[in-house]
Amino acid sequence: MLRLVAALLLAASFAASAAELKPWPGGPTPALELDDMAGQTHRLADYRGKVVLVNFWATWCEPCRAEMPSMDGLRRSLQGKPFEVLAVNLAEPLSRIENFLGAVPLGFPLLRDRDGAVAKLWKARLLPASFLVGRDGRIRYVAYGELDWTSQPVRARVEELLSEQGPGQRRAGRDAPPPAQKARGARAVHSSGGDRRTGPG
Amino acid sequence: MNRRLFLQSTSAAAIAQSLPWRSAFAQEGWRTFETVTRVNVSDAFGVARAWVPLPLEADTNWQKAIGNSWSGNASQAQILHDGKYGVAMLYAEWPAREANPHIEVTSRFMTRDRAVDFARPDSALDLSAADRKFFTAPTELIPTDGIVRKTALQITKGAKTDVDKARAIYEWVVDNTFRDPKTRGCGVGDVKSLLESGNPGGKCADLNALYVGLARAVGVPARDVYGIRVAPSNHGYKSLGTGSPNVTKAQHCRAEFFARGFGWVPVDPADVRKVVLEEPPGNLAVKDEKVIAARKRLFGSWEMNWLAYNMGHDVKLPHASKAPRLPFLMYINAEADGELRDQLEPDSVKYAITAREISA
Repeated sequence: MLRLVAALLLAASFAASAAELKPWPGGPTPALELDDMAGQTHRLADYRGKVVLVNFWATWCEPCRAEMPSMDGLRRSLQGKPFEVLAVNLAEPLSRIENFLGAVPLGFPLLRDRDGAVAKLWKARLLPASFLVGRDGRIRYVAYGELDWTSQPVRARVEELLSEQGPGQRRAGRDAPPPAQKARGARAVHSSGGDRRTGPG
Repeated sequence: MNRRLFLQSTSAAAIAQSLPWRSAFAQEGWRTFETVTRVNVSDAFGVARAWVPLPLEADTNWQKAIGNSWSGNASQAQILHDGKYGVAMLYAEWPAREANPHIEVTSRFMTRDRAVDFARPDSALDLSAADRKFFTAPTELIPTDGIVRKTALQITKGAKTDVDKARAIYEWVVDNTFRDPKTRGCGVGDVKSLLESGNPGGKCADLNALYVGLARAVGVPARDVYGIRVAPSNHGYKSLGTGSPNVTKAQHCRAEFFARGFGWVPVDPADVRKVVLEEPPGNLAVKDEKVIAARKRLFGSWEMNWLAYNMGHDVKLPHASKAPRLPFLMYINAEADGELRDQLEPDSVKYAITAREISA
């Protein structure tokens, strides 16, 4: 009974978010190449063969903070499957992100878009902005707003993408190539383009 | 430091601080701000909708958008754009069964002070023919013929360059208009009516629209820029900044003209008239040194304690039941039961806007 009440409460809280995963209307998948908090570079291209949830967020964005535990829940539930989460923080100081992580520990990489240039490439103007990238490296679904990433409809979309074959692969999946491990120092890098008191008055 | 030197330096500092528009206080670096807009569409029985203006999406060298987020009980919320000018707004919708439609929109952006150096032209700065045509075209409330063109030709007689014409119009607007404190909101910017009145008075949307219309009428590309003040002025002007974090009624529009070699040039003749009327102790003479300093600075520079929303005219609200074209989008708009609420009455829509600067 308690579990049912908790589930209903959770459903009600996410119902207020009004966001849903929608098929990507088309257009190229922008490049993404950013450093994480340790200075390690992550390139979306290096995750080819995996389903990747690219999430743009900020600590000042209430729905971003609210949905992150469910993103981590989805990641944990899919452990062993070719699924990754890349959470891109929008132009905030390291200390602020660290403070957030102190309160909400997360098991996926937090990348830093220091000047917001990558978010602009991805047209992530309304946060949280989430993009589900298929194993072929193309964006397949998009959501603007808070989602329950552990909900059945969302999970079904992810499973659907996981069931697809990656490009030219039998090795895709848990044998897919690892992300770039090359550290580039603390500076965030990104590539661009293509696949790349008075009254009013 | 000896006593004499100390006294000399402190008195020099005191004199500098007593002067209006102190350049030493100009902000050269980027500042980050946050606005939070809370909207409650009260007494809604049918479908409710709201349109909230968002920070200018295109990056400039004086403002950069970071991002927006929302929370509340809307059944849908998304960023939409007006078709002609690309005005960005957050559109929210609630079903008829929602008893208390509300939404909170948070926006973050960066600004830095802006000034044009007229001594250093850059020949690369020019407008395409299409843009020149677009920014000299009339709008519904800004005609460029009739009394507007006649007045503009008189004002700019003898002026050779676009900068000369733009400056002549600026001085004319400052000298021949007044800020009318009784004007609702920021005014509507009915340029023809203003000129026909023979004594043009109003607020920023009136006086700066008049500037834009007069400039366009003589072929100088110009545009209004609609926005909101978000911080106090650093130049010693109480009337040109906010007095508290509550900026619900701090909407303000400015203007720009384009000149070959200088790009878009910021101006704000309406704020000169605001200084005249409102800068303490109030009703300053045009020859007051604070007015003179503001008048000099507001042709070619803007203090960026202000957020630019958009540069649109004749804006059609997407999905509105009755879709009147607004002269501009600077206020929160909302409708319920198929009727657009009065955008100049925050109590009719119940909205509040706060602004704060974010420290690093």
